[in-house]
Amino acid sequence: MRERIPSGFDPFVLPFLIGMGFVLLYCLLAALRVLWQCPREDRRRFFISLITPTTALKNIWDIFANCLIHVKLWRRNRMLGFMHSSIAFGWFMIILLGHLEVLFFVPHRLNLFYYPIFFNYFVAETDTTLRGSFLFFLMDFFLLMILIGIVLAVIKRVRSRLFGMRRTTRLSFLDTVGLYSLWLIFPLRLLAESFTASISGGSFLVKPLNWLLEAVLGTQFLLNPANNLPTWWAYSIVLGVFMVVLPFTRYMHIPTEMMLIPMRNAGLRIRHARRGYALLEIYSCPGCGVCIDACPMSVKKANIKDCTVYLNRQLRRGNEKRIEEISDKCLLCGKCTEVCQVGVEGPALRIFQRARRQYAINPDYGTVQVSAPASGAKLLYFGGCMTALTPSIGRSMESVLGKLGIDYTWMDRDGGICCGRPMLQAGRFAQAADMVRRNTELIKASGADTLLLSCPICYKMFRDHYKLPGIRVVHHTQYFEELRRSGVLKLSKSDLCYAYHDPCELGRGCGEYEAPRGLVGAAAFIVEAEKNRGESICCGGSLGSLSLSFQQREAMTRKALDNLTVGGPDAIATACPLCLATFSRYSSIPVRDIAEVVDLSL
Amino acid sequence: MKESVIIIGGGVAGLEAASQLLALGLSPVIIERSDHLGGHVAEWYRLFPDLSPAQDLIARLVDSASGARIYLETEISRINALKDGYSATLNNGDVLFCKAVLVCTGFHLFEAAKKEEYGYGIYDRVITNRDLEHWFGGAEDERITDNPKAIGFVHCVGSRDVKAGNTQCSKVCCMTAIKQAIELKEKFPESEIYCFYMDLRLFGKKYEDFYISAQKDYGIHFIRGRVSEVSEDIEGRLLVKAEDTLSGKPLKVRLDLLVLMAGMVCHPQTARIASMVRAEVDDDGFLRSRDNIYSIVESGRKGIFFAGACTGTKTVPETVAEARAAALSAYRYIKGNA
Amino acid sequence: MDFGFSLSPSSAIDLDKVDLSLYRRLEQTAPDIRNCIACGSCSATCMAASYSGMSVRKLILNLQRGADVEKMLSCCMLCGKCTMVCPRGINTRKLILDVCRYYSKKV
Repeated sequence: MRERIPSGFDPFVLPFLIGMGFVLLYCLLAALRVLWQCPREDRRRFFISLITPTTALKNIWDIFANCLIHVKLWRRNRMLGFMHSSIAFGWFMIILLGHLEVLFFVPHRLNLFYYPIFFNYFVAETDTTLRGSFLFFLMDFFLLMILIGIVLAVIKRVRSRLFGMRRTTRLSFLDTVGLYSLWLIFPLRLLAESFTASISGGSFLVKPLNWLLEAVLGTQFLLNPANNLPTWWAYSIVLGVFMVVLPFTRYMHIPTEMMLIPMRNAGLRIRHARRGYALLEIYSCPGCGVCIDACPMSVKKANIKDCTVYLNRQLRRGNEKRIEEISDKCLLCGKCTEVCQVGVEGPALRIFQRARRQYAINPDYGTVQVSAPASGAKLLYFGGCMTALTPSIGRSMESVLGKLGIDYTWMDRDGGICCGRPMLQAGRFAQAADMVRRNTELIKASGADTLLLSCPICYKMFRDHYKLPGIRVVHHTQYFEELRRSGVLKLSKSDLCYAYHDPCELGRGCGEYEAPRGLVGAAAFIVEAEKNRGESICCGGSLGSLSLSFQQREAMTRKALDNLTVGGPDAIATACPLCLATFSRYSSIPVRDIAEVVDLSL
Repeated sequence: MKESVIIIGGGVAGLEAASQLLALGLSPVIIERSDHLGGHVAEWYRLFPDLSPAQDLIARLVDSASGARIYLETEISRINALKDGYSATLNNGDVLFCKAVLVCTGFHLFEAAKKEEYGYGIYDRVITNRDLEHWFGGAEDERITDNPKAIGFVHCVGSRDVKAGNTQCSKVCCMTAIKQAIELKEKFPESEIYCFYMDLRLFGKKYEDFYISAQKDYGIHFIRGRVSEVSEDIEGRLLVKAEDTLSGKPLKVRLDLLVLMAGMVCHPQTARIASMVRAEVDDDGFLRSRDNIYSIVESGRKGIFFAGACTGTKTVPETVAEARAAALSAYRYIKGNA
Repeated sequence: MDFGFSLSPSSAIDLDKVDLSLYRRLEQTAPDIRNCIACGSCSATCMAASYSGMSVRKLILNLQRGADVEKMLSCCMLCGKCTMVCPRGINTRKLILDVCRYYSKKV
């Protein structure tokens, strides 16, 4: 190998340099800004995590698995996974290999930023070495891999269904510029390398193309700098364009995700609607649109524009009107977070957007005089607000606990204070905190050691936001399942077939998928829904949405019912009073809470 | 050979239409899916505002329709349009030919268990208007105790309620509630009876007198406020929560019996019947007449007529009047086409 | 001749003179406020009703009559039961949040 260009420079590298310089500077400033916006506590935790060996290794592994290989995408759909792996990992490899080539053959040029990218222009191959041809082989191999990925990407734009995506994101103008320039980078690189392959060498991909071009255009034509330089200019320009637009397009996720992952592994969470960690999540969104199919609202085309991918886009643009509309509409079911490849927390972002709002009237619950529960049993049952509207649950709880001879106090039988979660989800944190405080006083005053909930919304609130030292917080499905496992609760199996619906708050919210299934499986037979567990479809009744009307929710409930009844069950079992009320409205088969299922089979 | 008219449904509308068609010299055929004639009214005890016995009316209707051919426990599988009439295939295999079809399929009572917050089927002392009529007629019902001290009526259960899937008013329940309240007061004179209403719809002849009588002669209490939830106390009595909107305060009362006035909704078979006769279903779920003022009994399709609650909520006198109108329209249609 | 009646203002509602600015605003942001039939289900089911006299029905009525609504909203826990029971399908929670947001104290 020898250098063909003694100066090691040609003006065509300028577009690339400008682009690269711009994007690196931009990313550096953005990273510093995010760090500065984080609270000091979080910053400290982050830096410590970077030097902690376990977290540091985890970071490297996660970045490799998610940013390069896109493991989560492979699990979603193999074609999608392959497409992204090939482009990301392939590109990473040719950059890496380019640097290796410079290291091995022209190490004195390592200080030149652009040299590895344009190696094949600046270096001519004087003799063939094993090392050289191996590296050239690898370069061509990864270039081919990327090109296959690009072809798949083009196909995906036209026929996204082949990739398991019914709907995909509508691109903004700059996104389209970024997309086309990205697509052009590698074909142009291939073209440029093929033009100069007879001087610079190549392998199985570039060489044959070079022979083809020679046959068509003539060797002298190719060797004339007036002809081969423009191809390298084109390659450089397209790279430069991509880099320059990158911070303003969805491709910003590439550098951002590399910062998001370490911060997440350090335990940082969203603290503010638009600053710090939240900003990282907003910019990590790759705009892939997987959340669109997942969102339960997307059953109606009119709601597609309110999915999380578009929230992120509007947040970047600062379009307050749209941000408010999108934030208020969401059911906060968490499905988008579940399927998101980068882990953007749609519900959390929206709650924080809601929390920014100013209100002229601020309730306080000072006048609420609720007396502490009387009896002093060790088990305190909190029915929750919805239980009054779904008396079958309260009745069944009384019946089951009565049959088991368990002593308990029903705390809010004659009214009480809401657990506070709907208030929290509406973004009114101070009011929710006030309710939490009041309820905590009452619960502590009762002298109970176990708090039993039949509503998963309450359960999640008590579990995550209440400080009740010495008091065990448990959902009725968990409580009854434990009793069943220990033999205290004996269920007789009927031949009914139930489809169990995972409520959003119990399933995705608390990770409890098995206890209810244990109970229903012992009391009857279970036939699973088509999408269940983490992918279960929200019933549509969630209080998380502030602006959805009653009529708008019907389509979502019907879709959830269709999903549940795919296996032809006799009845539906659920563990949430809101799901129960919502499904009962439209279901043609009976809908029962787990408490009722257990009661019927005791 | 007398021209034949198929009447789908053997309730009040179907029977009255049949008797008119017989008088006009045509040959009606009644297809009834249950095992008895008289429809819903056959299950009732007394009719407002005269408190005349429902069984007398039904007996009279059945008697005057006795000349018609009657199929009980039979359904229609298919209706085909012919050049000058229709052919109906019954589920027992018979095929009937007719010149016109009269749809008298009536209504369906709202399933009160769907309003779970009222506790029908969950609490022991909650019944519906239909359960109460049965009990008046002599049926046993262990939910009605021997000496209820306080009784409540909840108006508009399944009516005027978008959550129940029916936004329309069921017309007859307010009068029925007052009637049943009076009848219960006659049975249990010592009890206090409360009617929880949103609005009182007493639009017919002598209906207002009935209401005045309920207040003056029977001391029925009328509370303007919709019941939101029902629960049980330790003794098994029902605790009902409403807002007394007239005084603007939340109100609760303990009752020994709660009667839910289940509303009139469209028959679940409506869509099937509509497609059979190629009629349209209106957005309130009932069948759509040609218009709602002058041509209620006409469907807009030649030879297909409607009578009774299949097109919307109706009282008994309205049903009888429509049945006669439909019979006359069918007769004119048949003779006009001959 | 002045009989002195103007010293104690009449408590009768003068529909020609009521201040409907907040109500008009809410008609834009939460248009189903117009659907209310004042049945009282919301008030009956409200968790806060017994503590504060909170009632969505009264809230809507006061808005329509230009009367004060601040005190009543002091206890709303946003639990959502009123929305669940409303027979006209009004999104009462949105209504409450909008009132809290757009309310301005009268001098």
